[in-house]
Amino acid sequence: MAKVLKATAIEKCNGCELCVLEAQRQLEKVGLDAALIRVFTSKEDGREYPTFCIDIDPRINSIDIERIKSICPKFVFKIEEE
Amino acid sequence: MEQLIKKALIIDLAKKTFEVKSFSDLNKFVGGIGIGLKLFEIYKDSKPIVFSVGPLNGFFPFASKTSVVVSDDGVIEDLYVGGNLSSRIRYTGLDAIVLCNESDEKVTLDITNTTVVFKSADTDLNSLGLPGKRSLLNFSGKEFLVQNYFSTPESFLERNMESKKVIGISVTGTEILKPKNFPAYENLYYEILKKKNELRVEEGVYPSCANCPLGCGKSKVGEIGGNVLIHSLVACHFADKIYSDVGIVFSCLNVLGYDYTHEDLENLPKLIEDTLKNIS
Repeated sequence: MAKVLKATAIEKCNGCELCVLEAQRQLEKVGLDAALIRVFTSKEDGREYPTFCIDIDPRINSIDIERIKSICPKFVFKIEEE
Repeated sequence: MEQLIKKALIIDLAKKTFEVKSFSDLNKFVGGIGIGLKLFEIYKDSKPIVFSVGPLNGFFPFASKTSVVVSDDGVIEDLYVGGNLSSRIRYTGLDAIVLCNESDEKVTLDITNTTVVFKSADTDLNSLGLPGKRSLLNFSGKEFLVQNYFSTPESFLERNMESKKVIGISVTGTEILKPKNFPAYENLYYEILKKKNELRVEEGVYPSCANCPLGCGKSKVGEIGGNVLIHSLVACHFADKIYSDVGIVFSCLNVLGYDYTHEDLENLPKLIEDTLKNIS
């Protein structure tokens, strides 16, 4: 069965983007263009802190997703079998 | 490498024009506060606000701040703000953004790499730039905030932005950068990331600056003044134990392709001091 990366604890994300940059490094790139993970910031009225949302391109599963999972300081990701 | 020549986006708010200028003679100022002060000196007559990053921003952990140089009643202030602004400026391919003169009406700036679109005051800042690749700097009614959260100390930035009638800035960076020695860069990245326990802040549950895992509560309000090497890189001052280590700094600069010498870094405080004297 194929292993896939999922952001299962998104509420813990602190927006550090280590996951984005790890995925880019695996492709020998530094930057955000054509990134396989994107982190969006938003802030709802009345909330003190911004919240974050993660968009994962399915092609992420062709690189080392274990390293992406383990670089996250907040344990946002899980690897599941599909 | 092209990234070794310092590039600044010069925005004239009065004329609503912009241009990218290359400054090979700014290399000795390294980045951040170094090039920020020098650019301030060059554009002094236009009462500039200078946002600048250092050679490590966007590349290495804990090098996550943006330097802001402004004048407040003739006194030069150097401020440092957290969040994702420094990485976005780095990914525009620029080292600095200089806001010159004053707009005659309230304006929002939509910056994508080296292009600027001047937008009217009623523009929704959230509609600008590319989500995920942008950093938004907006006025909350009280403070200018990066990502609606990270601010600068005191109200120096706010007073300067108000006088220029700039009410928001979106910075989108889509450039892909290639360190000279990628395998060495990658190894060094992980080596530095492992040093997170050497930071002078506790891990927290707050929004984090880009490329810093800590989510500390202390980066919400940025920094003012301090160590010129740290602020030329532009690293977090809580990571001073890491980035005061000249060996680490040289390794970082070397894998990226810079050829600074020990003398260059030793001369930096004097260069900055002399520039500050010329401005004051």
